[in-house]
Parts: sequence; C-alpha cells; structure tokens
Amino acid sequence: MDYGYGLIGIFILFGIVFVIFTIFFAGLLRPQRPNKTKLENYECGEAPMGGAWIQYNVGFYIYALIFVIFDVEVVFLFPWAVAFKQLGLFALIEMLIFIAILIAGLAYAWKKGALTWES
Amino acid sequence: MAPLANYLVLAAILFALGVWGVLRNRNALIIFMCIELMLNAVNLTFMGFSAYLNDYSGQVFVFLIMAVAAAEVAVGLAIIVSIFRHKENVNVDEINVMKW
Amino acid sequence: MDYSLLIPEVVLFVWALVLLLYNASAKTENPRAIGLFALIGLVAAFVILWFVPDGSLFGKTFISDTYARGFKMIFLLAAIVTVIGSVDFASKHMKHTGEFYSLIMLCVTGMMFLASAGELISLYVALELSTISLYILAAFLKKDLKSTEAGLKYLILGAASSGILLYGLSLLYGLTGSTVLDEIGYRLFLNEGTTIAAVFAIVMFVAGFGFKLAAAPFHMWAPDVYEGAPTPVTAFLSVASKAAGLVAFVRLFFNSLLAIKPEWVVIVEIVAILAMVVGNVVALLQKNIKRMLAYSSIAQVGYVLVALSAGIDLSVTSMMIFLLAYLFANIGAFIVVIAFSNATGSDNIEDYSGLWKRKPSLAIVMTIYMLSLVGIPLTGGFIAKYFLFGAAVKEGLYTLVVIAILTSVISLFYYMNVVRIMMFRPAPSADKIALPWMIKLGLAISVIMVLLIGIWPGPFYAWGQLASTIFHF
Repeated sequence: MDYGYGLIGIFILFGIVFVIFTIFFAGLLRPQRPNKTKLENYECGEAPMGGAWIQYNVGFYIYALIFVIFDVEVVFLFPWAVAFKQLGLFALIEMLIFIAILIAGLAYAWKKGALTWES
Repeated sequence: MAPLANYLVLAAILFALGVWGVLRNRNALIIFMCIELMLNAVNLTFMGFSAYLNDYSGQVFVFLIMAVAAAEVAVGLAIIVSIFRHKENVNVDEINVMKW
Repeated sequence: MDYSLLIPEVVLFVWALVLLLYNASAKTENPRAIGLFALIGLVAAFVILWFVPDGSLFGKTFISDTYARGFKMIFLLAAIVTVIGSVDFASKHMKHTGEFYSLIMLCVTGMMFLASAGELISLYVALELSTISLYILAAFLKKDLKSTEAGLKYLILGAASSGILLYGLSLLYGLTGSTVLDEIGYRLFLNEGTTIAAVFAIVMFVAGFGFKLAAAPFHMWAPDVYEGAPTPVTAFLSVASKAAGLVAFVRLFFNSLLAIKPEWVVIVEIVAILAMVVGNVVALLQKNIKRMLAYSSIAQVGYVLVALSAGIDLSVTSMMIFLLAYLFANIGAFIVVIAFSNATGSDNIEDYSGLWKRKPSLAIVMTIYMLSLVGIPLTGGFIAKYFLFGAAVKEGLYTLVVIAILTSVISLFYYMNVVRIMMFRPAPSADKIALPWMIKLGLAISVIMVLLIGIWPGPFYAWGQLASTIFHF
C-alpha cells in the first residue's frame, strides 16, 4: 500500500501535533490579563463599529455573479490554448464564436447597468 | 496511481453525503452547497474513469459540468435572493404558500 | 462536414441574442412588437427545419435524423402556440418581456440540441440549457411570491435530479468507456450479462428522467411549479419539458440500453403504474385548474411510459402522435386559463361556472380540449391513446393496459367536472368575457389541430412512423 502517500501522512500528523502542542504550551506560559479592548474583534487596528452580520450592498452580489460566470468560462480557453497549434483554424473560429457569445452576455450586463456602481 | 476503486468509493461517499444533505437540511443555501457536492462527486468519478480508461472525453465532461454548475449557481442565488426579499429567510420549511 | 444541419438552431439562438441585446438598449419596451418578433423567429426556424437533410456532425455529437427533426417540430410548435397565447398576458402582467421571449427561445434551442444529441456530453449540456432557462421562467414574476417559490422548488429539485442523472451517466461512461450513444449500445451488446453498475446507472436514469417527466414518484415539484409559475410558462413547461425528457430518455434507452432491456423494463413499468394512479386519483381532489392540469399531466406521462415499456417501434410512433395531440390540447387548455384569469383574475375551477353563458366559444373549445385529454373518439387524444395502448397490447402487457384504461375512466370524472361546471352551473355575473385576437388565434390553431389529428390521423401516423425508423429493435 505504498503510493508515496506515507510521507504526506507523516507531514499531516506532524502538522496537527505541532499546532496543538504550541497552542497548549503557549497557553501555559503566557500571562492572562484580559480586558475589554483586548477581547474585541480585530478590525485592522481600528475600533470596530457595529456587528459583523450586516446587509451588504446588492451591488457586490451582481459583481460576484458576473465574475463567477466569466471566470468559469476561462476553463475552456486553457485546453484550447495548449493545443492551439494542432487544432488550427477551425478551433480558432470556434473559439471566436464562443468569445463573441460571452461578449454578447457582457454587453447585456453592461446595458442593463450591472457594471455601474449604485450606492 | 491509486487503484480505480479508491476514487470510486470516495466519490460514492461524497455523492451520498450530498444527497443526505439535500434531504436533511432546511436552509436553501446549504441545500445548494450539497447539490454542488453531488456534482463534484460526479466530477471525481469521471476523472477516475478517464484516467483509468486513458480516454479524454471524461475530462471534457468535467469541464462542461463545471461551467454548467456555475450557471446553475448564478440562477439559484438570484432566486434565493428574491425569496429572501419576500420572506426575510431562506428556510425551505417556511416556503409553503402552495400545498395540495 | 455539413454545417447546414445546424441552421435552425443557429437562427433561433442568434434571434434570441438579438432580441435580448436590442431590448436591453431600447429606451421603451413594446411588449406586442417584441412578442411578434419572437414569433417570427420561431416560425422561421420551423420553416427552415423542413429543409434540413439527414446527417451528423462532430463525430455523432450532433445528429440530424427523422426522430430528432420530429421532436424539434414538437418543441417549436409548443413555443409558437405558447407565444401566440401569451402576448396579451405578457403585455399585461410582465416586466422585461424581451428577456421572457428570449429565454423561451433559448430554452427551445437547448431542447432542439437535446433532440439531436448523439453523445452524453452534448446531451447533458443541452438538457441543462433548457432546464436552467425554465428555472428562470418559472420564477419570472419576481414580485409574486408564488412564482418565486415555484422557481426555487423547481431549481432545487431540478438541480438535485440532474446530479443524480449525471452520476448515472458517469457510471455508464465508466462501464463502456465511451460517451457516444451508438458506441455505448454496441459495447453493452458485446458485454454478455449485465453488471450491478449497469443496474445502478439505470436506476439513476429513471430517477433523473422521471423528474424531468414529472412521473410519480418523482412528481412532487410539478403541482407547485405549475400553480406558481406564470400561466404561459406553465403551458410551455407542461408540454415542452415533458417532450424534452422523453426525447433524451428514448434516445438513451432505445439506442444505447436496448441490449439490457430486461433490466430496465420492470422499473419503467412500475413508474408508469404509479404515475397513472397517483396523477389521476389526486387530480380528482384539486380546486385550482392549474394544479388539476398538473396532476393530469403526471397521469398522461404514465400512459406514454406504458407504451415505452413495450419497447417496439410502435412505442416511438405512438409517443410522437401522443405528444402532438397532447401539445395542442394542453396548451390550448392553458390558453383558456390565461384568457379566463385575464378577465376574472381567478384560477379556481368553481369560478368557471356559467362560462357557457358568458362566452360560449371559450366554453366550447375548452370542452374539446378536455375531451381530447380524456381520449374521446374524433379528437387527437383518442388516436394517441389508441396507439399508445396498442403498442403495449402488441407486446402482451395486458396488466398495464387494464390499469391504464381503468385510470382513464377515473380521469373522465375530473375532466368532465370542468365541462359540467362550465355548461350547467349558473353564472356568478353576467359580464361577458372579451377575447383578444391573439388568444383567439392560439385557440383556433389548437382546436383545428386537435380535431385534425382525431379525424385524419394518417399523415401524423406516417410522420411518427418515420421517426421510429432510426431505432433498430
């Protein structure tokens, strides 16, 4: 059953044991004087304002959605780019059609105002 | 490479977890994540078979499943957002305007 | 490589994109003009389809044969009649009509590719193109809670069922090492004896397709989605999504899995019986006409599965005739529902009382559609059922046929209940119901086709038989 995974197993085991050991040991050594400021959430050094469970602007959601869709389509470009020389003109035309459809989608999102920020 | 059975068993376990999650959970978002888990289990099966059979159509299938899953997520989140605007939560037990 | 095979799909797709982009950039929206524009595109694709020859592209990924073209006609006709019937609804109740029509066209494009899919990858992608469009269409009235809910239910159950279907596809791929349907069929034929993996795959396929067809026990989504979705979408969904499920189901099972028919025939029979019994019995209890039609559609798909479990060429022929007759009768009935709810704002069966007094023509056409759905002679529904049950009798499936006929008798009660209420109950108000001319056109086309199939079935039988010739039983 040796697939070379044994070494990885040892690393994982070591990683887990090391983290548990250091946290436990540091807890024994360090002085414990908690106060209110210390227990607050860390927000880049600023004094935190309000809770973390706030409603986000729906604009973020639209951006994320557009990103997800166009991001995943790139998955089709990579294999094509790798095998570009063997595939030749036919695949180039196919890919241009593919990109044209994506651009049509982008144009639609743009016209609908999904790319302008409204606050 | 590990034997094919390892991939298939892992994929079957992931798929079963996904189905269990879909049936068990009450939050539409988590149900959605479980569906993604099912799709990824299928992807793993395809990759395992593709490597075992030395045939590339399985890998092509995986690419297309990923793209389709992204489209499904986009539509799904949009519908969940509009449900949320109506009801202020996404609990599927409370989505019951219609009953037979 | 003969790329002219793709012209109808390309025309439809480009048309949908142009409509989408034009509508996004236009300042004001003219719903009627947009509807007519969409209609022209659909009719153009339908006309071009007649001239498309046989052939295949990209190593059998895209097949154009009589079977595929027959189904494409069904999809396009369903979309055409739906669009004709929905122009008034859309201009009255909907925002974003451009997106509405282009989504219908994209959905039909997906279904047309599905009809032509000769390979698992293109089959899956085409299926998802059509169902994702349908999710959006079901949730289209986003201000309406019912519609949004319908969209969410459809989406969650639809996505889960595609996952199950995909798992079956992955097992089939692993079993045969190919994604081409013909090749899969050939390799399964060579593999003497079936494995447990094949049985697993079949169970997954039946569950996945059973969902798309809304056959019991995978029908839970159908009544809610039918009730909640905008009525034109329900009309389209009730016919086109069933036809889409059937086109892929039959191509997969009769082309690739015919070698292991003994393994799947029992499961299909059980699903058929459940669909007929559940659909017809629960339909009796319904108060809302859209829900009633949803359960009736569950029952109707059961009749098709009876014929399909026979697994002979008459099964395919009868399925094609059935779908055509069902298309016009069911979409026609939904156009009546659209017209009625536009005038009165109600979908309750009780409120149809006295329709005969308020608008005799509407009551008469609704009666004809109901008679066709029951399967009374001289309507298309009779011819369809005659051939469906004929296929089962030919293979000696007498139990199934007896159950089918008994449940058909049950169906008589709820279909005729609508007719009874329309004809013999007093009208709650004397207000006449006005019909816009587009709705009249849609109703007229449906009635003429329902009666034509019933009275002169010859050409339709020939058309169905031509489609069945591609399978080698």
